[in-house]
Amino acid sequence: MARVSLTNITKRWGDFIGVDNQSLEINDKEFLVLLGPSGCGKTTTMRMIAGLEEPTAGEIRIGDRVVNDDLPKDRDVAMVFQNYGLYPHMTIFDNIAYPLKVRGTPKAEVAPRVEKAAAQVELTEFLHRKPKALSGGQRQRVALARAIVRTPKVFLMDEPLSNLDAKLRVTMRAELKHLSRQLQITTVYVTHDQIEAMTLADRVAVMKNGVIQQLGTPDEIYNDPANLFVAGFIGSPAMNLINGSVKDGMFVTTGGTSLVKVGISDRDAVVLGVRAEDVEIHQPGEGDIDLKVYAYENTGESVMLTVQFGQQRVIARGDRHLRMDMDDTVGLRLNPDHLYLFDPASENRIGNG
Amino acid sequence: MQDKRLKYLLVVPAVLVVFATAIWPLIDSLRLSFTVGRLTRPNFPQAYIGLENYNWAFFDEPAFWNSVTVTSIYTIVTVALTTLIALGLAMLLAPGGRLRSGVQTLLILPFAMSPALIGVSFRFMFNPEFGLFDAFFGLLFPPLADISWLSDPVLAFVVCVIADVWGWIPFLTLVLIGGLASIPRDTIEAAQVDGAGGWRVFKDVTLPQLMPVLAVVLILKAIFSLKTFDQVYMLTNGGPGTATQTLSHYIYFNGFKYGQIGYSASVAWLMVIPMLVLTYFYAKFVFRKD
Repeated sequence: MARVSLTNITKRWGDFIGVDNQSLEINDKEFLVLLGPSGCGKTTTMRMIAGLEEPTAGEIRIGDRVVNDDLPKDRDVAMVFQNYGLYPHMTIFDNIAYPLKVRGTPKAEVAPRVEKAAAQVELTEFLHRKPKALSGGQRQRVALARAIVRTPKVFLMDEPLSNLDAKLRVTMRAELKHLSRQLQITTVYVTHDQIEAMTLADRVAVMKNGVIQQLGTPDEIYNDPANLFVAGFIGSPAMNLINGSVKDGMFVTTGGTSLVKVGISDRDAVVLGVRAEDVEIHQPGEGDIDLKVYAYENTGESVMLTVQFGQQRVIARGDRHLRMDMDDTVGLRLNPDHLYLFDPASENRIGNG
Repeated sequence: MQDKRLKYLLVVPAVLVVFATAIWPLIDSLRLSFTVGRLTRPNFPQAYIGLENYNWAFFDEPAFWNSVTVTSIYTIVTVALTTLIALGLAMLLAPGGRLRSGVQTLLILPFAMSPALIGVSFRFMFNPEFGLFDAFFGLLFPPLADISWLSDPVLAFVVCVIADVWGWIPFLTLVLIGGLASIPRDTIEAAQVDGAGGWRVFKDVTLPQLMPVLAVVLILKAIFSLKTFDQVYMLTNGGPGTATQTLSHYIYFNGFKYGQIGYSASVAWLMVIPMLVLTYFYAKFVFRKD
């Protein structure tokens, strides 16, 4: 049983607050992703779980044990570092074997366990080499093998894929997911890549400025964002955010265009959020509003249409067979089932469309 | 002119200077080492005597062997002490160490002092009548009061070692801090998470990665210890008796005090041998291809 509980954790360096009085419960066998831009406190949170950073205040439990005063070596966690953290002077075999050796595993057990871990990440033929002789992807596998060679209470992964090229990242992501389903061990995974977060996580904690903005399943984070930050951070392209107000049940843009019917009472300042895939592209006159095409981009799997809308631009995702030209006119319709309304002052979500 | 020829032409001045100041004296001293060369007599060098000087040093001169012994012990003790203390300090002062602060900048000061000046100031500080150390030790351990440090053979040697270690620690510490700083932090953190305690992290991860720098430090310090002269000259002048007479001091005395240039040259060439060995390894570590 390895729940990880953070209770009122704060990390401060002088005046700078890295993590601000946060609490988080990570369930046994859960894959939890800490997601956020750089400097949001996600890595600091993980390093406090590992024992590499000491919280200024608060309590950290792994299983039933309060580990605040335990050294990293006594916490029974395994960690994969962003830069792999391989021991350059040791062979791949010795790298993977190190956690076993240092914990006094009987000699006879070491080799079979190293070989098993190496096989799980397809490294068997490289065991006699040094890390220098391996590619980035292979080094990342060594780091993974070193983590899974034991059965720790918790896996900690600090942006493990961010140093790989885009193609390899996709492959490794799938392998990681497969591996984590097999191993069934509580995992905390730090990333700034929302796709990694969406694909790998059981639950995602979106962080900003040391504060968890929203904690939920990838589905909830994407379809039910709690505030403007989460709405804007998750999704690619980013959610369209349009400033305006609500009058007589209609959302009216700052430019005075009455756009869609929304389900909240009248108020002066509102931000309307709508994802690109929820902006439908129609013939002129058939949508809510006719607009000129500002840019047309064909990505192959879909097309992206940017339209100028008063002071703002709105992006719509269309079918991959749609063909357009700059300056064409299109009719856009916002899908009323997937509209989000935010209060620009508090940035909190205040309702749906 | 073609680049190919120009590049050789451009290094010619440097080569000439090195030849005139290092290689030629080296060759000429080799020639002198096979002669009777007395500065005090006319027609210098007086006669070619083959290996007679070397013979003399090896078989008929206890003073030569004394200086070899003094130099060897001096080198081993100072290299070991300086490196160990410098490594300890570097661990404390390195990024992530426990004492990080502006202290590092202060470190360079002792190294900026001339060895001769270190010798003079230590002689004053160990003076039994008005010396700083003498007063200090006397206060802490009364039995050590009013000991005449520099007139006791063993204590004089100890004082030489202390002065040398004191002078060298800062520089070696700085070099080792640089070495430690270049070790990727995540390898150390990985070892901590993998289950290693402080000592094992040091032994298994830090030290092996520091090895190239540490080797350079050891060799460099050994070279400088082997050729120690000015400090000993100012501090004890080789005494009492010959208790602190290093090889360099011995060579200097025979050559310029007694005028035995030929004999001095032969002893100097005996010193060249360990120097060459150390230099070879030094160059190997510094210029190694990774």
